[in-house]
Amino acid sequence: MTGNGLTTTSLTLGYRERVVIRELSIAVPDQRVTSILGPNGCGKSTFLKALARLIAPASGQVRLSGDDIGKIDTRTLARRLSILPQSPKAPEGITVSDLVRRGRTPWRGLLAPWSEEDASICAQALQQVGLSDLAERPIDELSGGQRQRAWIALVLAQNTPYLLLDEPTTWLDLAHQLEVLSLLQKRNRDHGTTVVTVLHDLNLAVRFSDHLFLFGANGLVAEGTPEEVITPDNLQAAFGLRALVMPDPLTGRPMIVPY
Amino acid sequence: MSGEGSARKIVGGWLLLGGLLAAAILLSLMVGQIMITPAELLRGLMTGAGPGSLTLRVLRGPSTLTAVGAGAVLGASGAIFQILLRNPLAAPDVMGFMSGAGCAVVAGVAFGLFIPLPILAAIGGLVAALLVAGLAFHRSGRQSPLTLILVGIGIGFFASAVSSFLVLRMPPQEAADAQRWLAGSLTARNWGHVLQVFGLGALLFVVLALQVRAMALLELGDELAAGLGAHVERARYGLICTGVLLAAVGVAVAGPVPFVAMMAGPLGMRIAGVRHPASRLTAAAIAGATITVLAEVISRSAIPGLQLPVGVMTGIMGAPYLLWLLWKEVEAGEL
Repeated sequence: MTGNGLTTTSLTLGYRERVVIRELSIAVPDQRVTSILGPNGCGKSTFLKALARLIAPASGQVRLSGDDIGKIDTRTLARRLSILPQSPKAPEGITVSDLVRRGRTPWRGLLAPWSEEDASICAQALQQVGLSDLAERPIDELSGGQRQRAWIALVLAQNTPYLLLDEPTTWLDLAHQLEVLSLLQKRNRDHGTTVVTVLHDLNLAVRFSDHLFLFGANGLVAEGTPEEVITPDNLQAAFGLRALVMPDPLTGRPMIVPY
Repeated sequence: MSGEGSARKIVGGWLLLGGLLAAAILLSLMVGQIMITPAELLRGLMTGAGPGSLTLRVLRGPSTLTAVGAGAVLGASGAIFQILLRNPLAAPDVMGFMSGAGCAVVAGVAFGLFIPLPILAAIGGLVAALLVAGLAFHRSGRQSPLTLILVGIGIGFFASAVSSFLVLRMPPQEAADAQRWLAGSLTARNWGHVLQVFGLGALLFVVLALQVRAMALLELGDELAAGLGAHVERARYGLICTGVLLAAVGVAVAGPVPFVAMMAGPLGMRIAGVRHPASRLTAAAIAGATITVLAEVISRSAIPGLQLPVGVMTGIMGAPYLLWLLWKEVEAGEL
């Protein structure tokens, strides 16, 4: 499979004893919000890391615009694709703006000074996550939701067409989960950024995603639009979950009611 | 550069840090068996004559400047390991790299090898670092910073024991000199030492400056660093090597002075009030220079007529700090 976007060809992940993803060939739709769903231990995080080249495949490839991601120069890749790992740890005492500025690293020449463009992209990233006023505050002093938004500002400052996030809503309360997902959705709508997230909460994933990959213990169960993927049969197959699926009264998208 | 708290506070911090170093240097030039006034020093500097000139050129100038250079390279080296391992105990003195460097120098002298001291020190430091990495190696590929530090302390003791053994087998006069050097000594330094520590130090600081951005990424964790375009393993090895070599340059001119590398990083960071690795490394270098110069002047003037090795002084200053850090680790349940 060649061509555009982020794709995998016969991707196998894991080691001899424990293969988590086997022979998977998929295409992440460009300029959409995609969520990767599945029970714990199904390999969804591993899959996301492989998409970002943090894990080398046992076999097969991840391709970006047709190029094998393993062969792309590290800095070039960092200009096209960014990844926010799960629960990153900030160095003690670092301020929000210091953190966000480091997102510009792949765009700066070895000796290039800090440019107007770098500054304006950082300011924009801070503004998009609503932290402009807290830019000079140490991260340790922020609330959980603000902290997560600071990390998202870091990858927004990286300014890549592909943005991957591993469980960006973990440890946040519901209001802050909504806040984080809406700002990612807004980034997608305003900039055409392809957003790929691993999410735990099925209803939130449905609400904010254009495309879903649903994994079960034995690999991919279904992919497609939320309407196509979220069916009682698929939920049973992926999670062993018995649930009703009915239209969300607010958006009309599928809503899961377990029983 | 913005991004680090209030600008005025930062400028004040840097001024304080620089002022402390300047004061320490002035003190070191003035104090000794004969007191020299700043006016005499200035006259000596301008005219090249009088007691001020002799002090600057021969008596105290070279020792003081060697202390500045050695302190700066040791301070920067300590900050590298403290940032990489995210632990204030991580430093080349605590982790045995400096004892390794010292051991190699003593071995070189004992066996009559004609290899320049900085090269011997570098080899010793790198071997110690390799031993620490090898002994702490874990199949998972991840070892806790504390494991590395404890293994390093062990390697340090081993290297010191080997040094002691080699010294015991030397002729008496040579043994006394070696013993003194191993305690960390800045007596009778000449302009050759100054040139050596500043020349090699400047070279390594340039190499370090080129790695600072990668360091700022490594600080965010390996996965984010990789995502932001860092070659994680390569960058880490590069920084470790630079840190070991900086320590070796310090050891080559001053002996394995204990605790300067460990104390300088946190002290500089507190006084300057900075966070970014570039600022932390600079602050650590200045703080390291200040500590070493102060320790040197105290060691030669504390007891009249007795010249203590500078390492005795840094040991007296550093040991309580080390104990306090260990106590904090125990409190935090890390040890």
